[in-house]
Amino acid sequence: MIKFDDVSKTYSGGFLALKQVSFELATGEMAFLTGHSGAGKSTLLKLISLMEKPNTGQIYINNQNITRVKYQQIPFVRRGIGMIFQNHNLLNDRTVFDNVALPLIIEGYGQKDIRKRVDAALDKVHLSSKLKCYPKMLSGGEQQRVGIARAIVNKPPILLADEPTGNLDPKLSLDIITLFEEFNAMGVSVLIATHDLGLIARMRYRTLTLKQGTMITDGITQSKPTPTNNNRFIGQD
Amino acid sequence: MFTDNPEHKKWSQRILLIPLRHLQQAIGSLGDLWRTPLASLMTIFVLGISLTLPATLELFVKNASQVTANWNSAAEITLFLDLSTTDKSAQSLVTRISLYPEVAKVQYISAADALKEFKQLSGFGDALNYLASNPLPATILVTPTERASQVIAAQALLEKLQQEREVKQGKLDLEWLTRLQTMAKFVSDIVLSIALLLCLSVVLIIGNTIRLAIVSQKDAIAIMKLVGATDQFIQRPFLYTGMWYGVFGGIIAIIVVTLLAQFLTLSMTNLAALYDSQFTLQNLSLNEALLLFAIAIGLGLLGSYISVKQHIRAIEPTAD
Repeated sequence: MIKFDDVSKTYSGGFLALKQVSFELATGEMAFLTGHSGAGKSTLLKLISLMEKPNTGQIYINNQNITRVKYQQIPFVRRGIGMIFQNHNLLNDRTVFDNVALPLIIEGYGQKDIRKRVDAALDKVHLSSKLKCYPKMLSGGEQQRVGIARAIVNKPPILLADEPTGNLDPKLSLDIITLFEEFNAMGVSVLIATHDLGLIARMRYRTLTLKQGTMITDGITQSKPTPTNNNRFIGQD
Repeated sequence: MFTDNPEHKKWSQRILLIPLRHLQQAIGSLGDLWRTPLASLMTIFVLGISLTLPATLELFVKNASQVTANWNSAAEITLFLDLSTTDKSAQSLVTRISLYPEVAKVQYISAADALKEFKQLSGFGDALNYLASNPLPATILVTPTERASQVIAAQALLEKLQQEREVKQGKLDLEWLTRLQTMAKFVSDIVLSIALLLCLSVVLIIGNTIRLAIVSQKDAIAIMKLVGATDQFIQRPFLYTGMWYGVFGGIIAIIVVTLLAQFLTLSMTNLAALYDSQFTLQNLSLNEALLLFAIAIGLGLLGSYISVKQHIRAIEPTAD
């Protein structure tokens, strides 16, 4: 679903953000992406969401090589990725309903379909009662859930989350991660970038660690082995 | 449940929704204008007034050309007959010419009459009695019909008249007619240049207004791009905004031009009365009003299109 093949990214000015990164996130897999600030996490996410282009290497999203995708094609690639941000990126002058409906409106769904799907998405994040609220009227955790509802409303095969628990307390963080697990159980590939190492340790999922632009570990970060269905160990190549 | 794609939806159903969505976005853009009434009104008035000026000038050119059309009877052709022409053959020529379809009026001045007139006007008086014979030719003054009095038609008529056996020389006083028409052309060229300049400024003003709207929506546009909106989708409301500026600016221009013409008619009627003339100023015709309206909408759309093409693509989402 997401595949990096020897990808390097140098920003203008010569800063080498990613060095020959290769990994693959299979369909229905859930993984964490971690690393210190400046390790290249953001760059990796920007490459997946087509905000940046790699200098060398190939990137595949939903089996499509996006390395040389045309400007006009970018929106269509993005529709296959549900993106969730630390700062929620909601439209503050629109209601929760309108925010969640945005991807559907963009794709040209009918009014009835939109209502049905938005209701379902808000129901999943337990915000059905906040339909007519504006983002500013919600708490941080609620806003984050609106962002998640928007990311899943058009049922993309990939969910990408950038520090989704950044400003939340541990209890709320766990709620959010539990939501991701639910979507993952439905077959969605989930990649979560976070520096919340405690959270990662508790979750026992595959973890990709970046250090100074290089992928240093690709495996399960955990204190003691507790095998579950989702766990997979993939050693470094 | 995550497998059903929008592509699987019935295409017919989605295509049917397109006009509905456009209507929704058009109304949405109208709502956006309504939310900032003062700024919107200012832009609308700039557009309206910018179009009023050339439209009013055009109205004047139209009326002026109608007035000058009446003056064309002055385009008179003078035919000097051969000295050997007898009075009788001259009379028959006059009859023939008066049958021309292009000719409205023919006046014959015999050689004797011409000499008499010359005696009176020249001041040579009796001195002319010493001439052995009358040196002046008989003259025919031909007034072409209104249609044949245009420069080219009058010229053609002159050539035709010169073919007549008795005519030695024909003269058409084209100079002032040409001057008048050149003058009229010059004035309408000025109007055209002013109109073009004002249209350009309208496009720039609308473009700048739309640019400010885009900049103020920068974050929202970045978010829309992130969730997969195409540039076409994002630019549509701005194009509709430009269209609405055109619609309202056009309406204002039509109203102002009409009122202005009516106001000027009052004072012009008074002026015309002093000259014993029955002059009425023609107002905008329906076609002209529609043209003005279409131009306003076109300029609104053009201004917003240029702005949208430049600025929407430049906005790129960032992860921060």
